[in-house]
Amino acid sequence: MHTLDFPQLASVEHIEQGFESYGYICSRKIATAVFLAFQLRKPVLVEGPPGVGKTELAKTTALLLDTPLIRLQCYEGLDEAKALYEWKYGKQLLYTQVLKEKLGDLLQGATGLAESVARLHQFGDIFYSEEFLEPRPLLKAMQQEKGAILLIDEVDKSDYEFESLLLEILSDYQISIPEIGTVKARTTPMVFLTSNNTREISDALKRRCLHLYIPFPTVELEERIIRSRVPDVDDQLRHQLVEFVHSLRQLDLKKVPAISETIDWARSLLLLHADKLDEDLVRSTLNVLLKYEDDIDTTDVEMRNLIRDSATEGRAR
Amino acid sequence: MQSNLVNFVQVLRTHDIRVSPAETLDAVAVATSLGYSDRSLLRDGLAMTLAKTPEEEAIFLQCFDQFFQQDLADFADVDAQDALEEEPASSESDNGSQHATDAALAQHSALEQAAEDNPMLEALLQTALMQSLVDNDRNELTLAMNQASEQVGLQQIQMFTQKGQFTRRILDALGEEHIRNAVIELEQADSPALAVLQRYRDILREQVRDHVEREYLIQAEGKTRQFMDEILSKTRLNNIEHVYLHKVQALIRKMAKKLASRHSRKRKLLKRGRLDMAKTLRKGIPHDGIMFNTYWRQVRKEKPQILAVCDVSGSVAAYAKFLLLFLYSVQDVLPKVRSFAFSSHLGEVSGYFDDYPVEKAIELVNWKYGGATDYGNSLLDFAKLAMDDINSNTTVIILGDARNNNGDPKLEILQSIYQRSRQVIWLNPESRRSWGSGDSEMLRYQSACHFSAECNNLKQLERIIDQLLKSTR
Repeated sequence: MHTLDFPQLASVEHIEQGFESYGYICSRKIATAVFLAFQLRKPVLVEGPPGVGKTELAKTTALLLDTPLIRLQCYEGLDEAKALYEWKYGKQLLYTQVLKEKLGDLLQGATGLAESVARLHQFGDIFYSEEFLEPRPLLKAMQQEKGAILLIDEVDKSDYEFESLLLEILSDYQISIPEIGTVKARTTPMVFLTSNNTREISDALKRRCLHLYIPFPTVELEERIIRSRVPDVDDQLRHQLVEFVHSLRQLDLKKVPAISETIDWARSLLLLHADKLDEDLVRSTLNVLLKYEDDIDTTDVEMRNLIRDSATEGRAR
Repeated sequence: MQSNLVNFVQVLRTHDIRVSPAETLDAVAVATSLGYSDRSLLRDGLAMTLAKTPEEEAIFLQCFDQFFQQDLADFADVDAQDALEEEPASSESDNGSQHATDAALAQHSALEQAAEDNPMLEALLQTALMQSLVDNDRNELTLAMNQASEQVGLQQIQMFTQKGQFTRRILDALGEEHIRNAVIELEQADSPALAVLQRYRDILREQVRDHVEREYLIQAEGKTRQFMDEILSKTRLNNIEHVYLHKVQALIRKMAKKLASRHSRKRKLLKRGRLDMAKTLRKGIPHDGIMFNTYWRQVRKEKPQILAVCDVSGSVAAYAKFLLLFLYSVQDVLPKVRSFAFSSHLGEVSGYFDDYPVEKAIELVNWKYGGATDYGNSLLDFAKLAMDDINSNTTVIILGDARNNNGDPKLEILQSIYQRSRQVIWLNPESRRSWGSGDSEMLRYQSACHFSAECNNLKQLERIIDQLLKSTR
């Protein structure tokens, strides 16, 4: 097992700039996490509300390092046959057929059972071997020659048992296959785990990871994100819409709009050739931001205040 | 610095952040690769290895700021320092710094002059302590303080009330009394050196106070809290002062979390589900591909049900509150809980818990159902509401003092619940001795329960919930 050296990850500043060139504007903390993950060869457990760019972080890192991204989406009932490896049963069955036909040639002239068995042993046992192994995402990440970014998405959706399965991979970068032995990673992959906090992750798993919590961004950071993702929106509108989304997040909503929704909204406003927010415009595009009818109703009541606030704050700056 | 980091981990541990030795090693690795120059960078990096939840991170940040503040304030003359710092900045500063140095010199000479007339002050100025103060030698002073604190056993500090005592003892061990005596003497002589010496004395006191404060933080603050938790968990729940209520709630959360993780493994039952084709094929391979045995996916057992029936009349309301808080805090691992509240009549209150946070819901329940108790009537209501849902998978928990104001206990209803359900648990906040005394129907009700227990503090409550979790699996 060897490790690669990436000049892109030489310092926290390098990472920040690198991410920015791929349109991922991140806080210092995120860059520090990636830096440490690389320096210490530790997985990162990324937590935070949906839509703050947890998955995007892994994708951008893969782009930055120009390595393949291997993604494992977790769900209830995910087991090792889908995450680690599976045997190619069909081929194994065929192999036994072939073996059966060859058996006659092989045992020709053998006298007695002991000799036959001895000859059979010489034949080599490839029934359980890498030939018949079907790698699933986790094993695939271990087999990459040039290193890989392994993204284990929404690990909180999986079962407790699955977490234990991950422990060996996360601490030693190896997988034990009972029939073959231990498969070590050819090159240490960089591992990101994301969680939406729908349940507590076990301490054993947490202990092995760096813990990164991504909150909703500050107004400044979100403006920078919008500027990089939707560059055509003019400054005033951008500021106004970010302020508006921020005040929405203060309301008591079922699902608060995340960064991805802000970006979508900025795009929609651009398509509608808007240059400032007004009540009608917001009302007709609100379904981009809010996904529940209740939330839209709640916002409707406050609409006038929200728009006025975001506009005045825009001027104050 | 490494030992400092280990000390810091110690502080975190006393603040309830669990840090394993492996994580300490990680923290050291983080510190090495990030360096110590950028404070906020180091803080973020350490937070990632040592704190594992947003809550822990908040505690971490607080501890970090407290722990890694400037070790010892520079106590050189403030004016002189300001002037010295200005020096490179402005061209006219020459005069300023000259002035400041003069002032400092003047102070020294004032002391020395006074010392010439006074042999005792002379001797004082020669002591190591005074030397290090006058020379602003912080290393020397820190060293002396550490020695003194070892001498007086500062590591044994347990309670915050001991802070003053330890400060005094360390000052004595450092030989502060000489300075004190000199100050008194100078006061009597009305000497110009008085102010200077007083300043040194105050600096010393302040330094020692900070030192003790820091040591207390490392050694004892957490312990004091653990001690308090221990006391709280053994106090009768209705005796807990209002100010401590939020602490109790935090404590319940903690206990609930512990229980939840202990019982979190999902139950499996050998109930047949879908055919597991892959496994059947695989197991058939040794038999030439003939599938001798079939293998089936397992189906999870249906979650059993819990019905919690709480008396919320004045005498037991406090207990009901904690029981409900506990039950809803272990919701993750506990089967679905339906809760009912009663005093004179009974109603289902599960809805409140779906709509509001637990604390709010409990307030609402108390407000709506509080009043004089009538067990007979309430059991009747309960039978009407829930009897049909009670089956061999149902656990019924009743919390109440069984004091029925001499009304009809309607024991037969409880008996029929007893027969239909998996188990009936009665929790009584009164001590076992007073069961059956006066208007208490406890002995009679007890005959129709699988299990009855005294339950008036958190420790007992925790034990009962633990048993409950075991028995419902």
